[in-house]
Amino acid sequence: MSELRIAVAGNPNVGKTSLFNLLTHSRYKVGNYPGITVETREGRLRVHEDPDKPITLIDLPGTYSLTPTAEDEAVAFRVLTGADGHPRPDAVLLVLDASNLARNLYLALQVVELGLPCVIALNMVDLADRAGVPVDVDALAAALELPVVPTVARSGEGIETTAAMLRSLGPALATPLPNALEARVSKDPARARWLLSAALADALELTGATTSEREALAALDPEQIRTAVRTQIEARYAKVDRLLAGVIPAEPERAQLAAPAMVRSAQIDRVLTHRVFGPLIFLGVMALVFQSLFSWADPLIGLIEGAIGWLGDVTRNALGEGAFTDLLTEGVIAGVGNVVVFVPQIALLFLFVGLLEDSGYMARAAFIVDRLMARVGLNGKAFVPLLSGYACAIPAIMGTRTISGFKDRLVTILMIPFMSCSARLPVYSLVIGALFAANERVFGPFTQGGLILLGMYMLSTVSALVIGAIYKRTLLRGPVPPLVLELPPYRLPRIRDTARHVWDRTADFLRDAGTIILAVTVVLWGLLSYPKVEPESLAEGETAIEHSLAGRLGKSIEPVLTPIGQDWRIGIGLIGSFAAREVLVSTLGMVYGIESDVDEDDTPLREVIRDAKTPEGEPRYGKASGLALMVFFVFACQCMSTLAVVKRETRSWRWPAFMLISMTVIAYVAALLTFWGAKAFGL
Amino acid sequence: MAFQSGKTLAELEIGQRAIVKDVVGEGRMMVRLLEMGFVPGVSVALVKRAPLGDPLELRLRGYHVSLRRAEAGAVLVEARVDEARA
Repeated sequence: MSELRIAVAGNPNVGKTSLFNLLTHSRYKVGNYPGITVETREGRLRVHEDPDKPITLIDLPGTYSLTPTAEDEAVAFRVLTGADGHPRPDAVLLVLDASNLARNLYLALQVVELGLPCVIALNMVDLADRAGVPVDVDALAAALELPVVPTVARSGEGIETTAAMLRSLGPALATPLPNALEARVSKDPARARWLLSAALADALELTGATTSEREALAALDPEQIRTAVRTQIEARYAKVDRLLAGVIPAEPERAQLAAPAMVRSAQIDRVLTHRVFGPLIFLGVMALVFQSLFSWADPLIGLIEGAIGWLGDVTRNALGEGAFTDLLTEGVIAGVGNVVVFVPQIALLFLFVGLLEDSGYMARAAFIVDRLMARVGLNGKAFVPLLSGYACAIPAIMGTRTISGFKDRLVTILMIPFMSCSARLPVYSLVIGALFAANERVFGPFTQGGLILLGMYMLSTVSALVIGAIYKRTLLRGPVPPLVLELPPYRLPRIRDTARHVWDRTADFLRDAGTIILAVTVVLWGLLSYPKVEPESLAEGETAIEHSLAGRLGKSIEPVLTPIGQDWRIGIGLIGSFAAREVLVSTLGMVYGIESDVDEDDTPLREVIRDAKTPEGEPRYGKASGLALMVFFVFACQCMSTLAVVKRETRSWRWPAFMLISMTVIAYVAALLTFWGAKAFGL
Repeated sequence: MAFQSGKTLAELEIGQRAIVKDVVGEGRMMVRLLEMGFVPGVSVALVKRAPLGDPLELRLRGYHVSLRRAEAGAVLVEARVDEARA
C-alpha cells in the first residue's frame, strides 16, 4: 500500500489551517524535525477517503517565502525537499489568498520551481469578489498550467473539489535549468537557489548544508551572491506582476498598491491603533487576558483540587492505610493533580492567544508595543507570553511558540520564570504576615505589607527585562529581530479552529510535560516520606519529616543556608517547594507539626514562625531573613513544572539545566546581598 | 505628477506614496524586504505610525505591513510630492 504524502504550503493568515482541518481527520500526529522547534502537523485526508490509496497531508508553517530567514521557512523548505530522513512529498497543495495575490503568488512561484505536482486552492474567493478584485480562475490556471480550485474555508466551499484534485494529481513540473553560479553550489537548482539566498541572509545554520555545499558557497564572491539572489527575487516578482495583469481584470494600479481587502480593517484600525485609544484598548485586552489567567481559572482549579482530594480519599478508604496507599494517594494521585491543575490556565491562555491571532488583533498588539520590546532586543510578539508569566510560567512558556527565531524564543523563555507568578504569592504572604507589620500604614492607603509585595513584583519585572537584555547581548546574541509584520485584515475567528488549537496544546502538555511532572512528584513524595519513623520515637518538638531523606538533605544544606539567614527547616521547605512554590507553605507546616490545613489558612503557621526562638532565646527568623527568603523566591526556579515545559519546548535538558543552575545562583547571591544589606540597615 | 528622489521609506509623510528605487543594507534584511514585495518599481504608501512613533504601517501590493523606521530606512524611494499632506 503506497501512501501519498502531500505538503500544504501557504502564507500566514490565508486560512491554510482551516482548510487543513476541513480536509483531514481530527486526529493527526505532530511531525518533529531534529534540532528544530517548529512543528508540522500531519493528518489523513478524509474527504473522498479511499482506504486503498491513503493520502497524508502535511501542514507546513505559514511563510511568505522559502528563504530561511527564520526556522519556519527552513522547515517548510526541508519538508518540501525531503530532508531529515523524511521522504520528499509527492505533491504540494498551495493555499493562496484570492484577495491578495500580488504577494501570495511570490511563494507560489518559489514552490512551483521545486517541480512537485501542485494543486492550488484559491481561498477566500468570496472576499476577493466582495472587495471588487475578482480573480479569473481559468486564466490563473492557464497561466500557471496548474489546477486551481476556488475555495471558501469558512463555508466549506470547494473542499470536495480540492480533495478530488489531490486524488488525480498531474505530472511533475519542469524545473528551471541551473545557471552557471547555481551549478557551482548544487546539482539541484532549487537547492542551489535556496542555499544562495540562505548564504546572503546569513542563515546557513538553518539549512543543514553539507560541507561541500558550504565550501562551494564560501568560494563564491559575496557580491556575486548578492546580485544573483536579488535578480532571482526581482524576476519572480516581475512574473507575479505579469500574471496579475491577466488574472485580475481590475486596473493594475489597484493590484500594485491599494488593499481592497483592507478597507474595512483600515477603518477599524483608526480606533484600534489610534494614538490614544490604541494603547488604552491594548491595555484593556491585556488586562482581560491577565485577569482571566489570574482569577477566572481559580474556580476550575478549585474543582480539580477538590476532585483530586476526593479521589485520594476514596482510594484511601477502599485500600485502607498502608505504604502502597500512600504511594498511590500522595504520590501518584497528587502527581496527576499537579499536572491537571495547569489545564485551566493553559486552555484559557491558548483560547485568548488563538482568538487574538485568528482575529488579526495580535499583529496590532505587537505593532503597538514593539517600541518598548525593542529596547530589550525582542519584538512585540514576546509581550503576551511575558505578561502571562505573572499568572503562571507554564502556559506562558508554551505561548512563546508565536515568536519566530529560536534564539529570540529562548531569550523569552529564559525571562518568563523571573516574572512573579501566582504560586509565589502564598510564600510572600506567609513571610510578610509572619515577620512584618503587614497592616501598618506607611502613607495614604498603603500598608507595609502591600508595599513589600509591590517591591517584590517590581524586582521581578525589572530583573526579567534586565536578564533578557543581557542574554540578548551575550549568550544568545543576535540582532533585534526585524519587525516585518503583516497587519492582516480583521476576520472573525472560527470557533472550531480555535477549539482545536486549544485542545492540541493542552493534550501536548499533558502528554509531554505531564509525564515528567508526575514522575518528579512521586520522587519528591518519596524523599519527604521515607524513611518513616514511629511517632512514639520522636523526641520533644521533633516531627517525622525531619527523619525523611528530604529532612536530612535539608539539615545537610544548612551551612549553605545560614549565610542567607535561613535554617534547615526552610531548607526542607525549599526541597518540597520544587513540586510547586506554594508547597513551601504546607511543607513548613509539616516541619512545625501543625495539624490544621495550612493551605487554607496559614495563621497558625505565621504565629509559629513569628514566635520561633533559637536555643539562645533569640527570634529564629528576623526581618532580614524574611526579606532574603522572599528575594530568593523572586529569582529561584523552584518549580519542576517550569523545567519540564522548558525541556518540552527546547527539546533538550540543556536549557532547563542552565535555567535551574543560573536562577539558583542568582537567587542565592541576591538573597545573600539582601540579608546582609538588611542587617547593615539594622533590620 | 512630481517625484522627489533621494528619500527613504522612513521619511515619508503620513498618506504619502512612493515608488521603490532600491533596497540597501545587510543581507538578511534586504532579502526579507525584497521577498515581502519591496522590489524596485513597486508603489508603497505610508499609512500611519504606531502610537509610540515607531514602527510604521505601510501599504503595498494589496496588503499592509509594519516595519521599524530603521528597517524602512533601507528602502530607497522616489516620493510623490503632489500628494503629501503638509
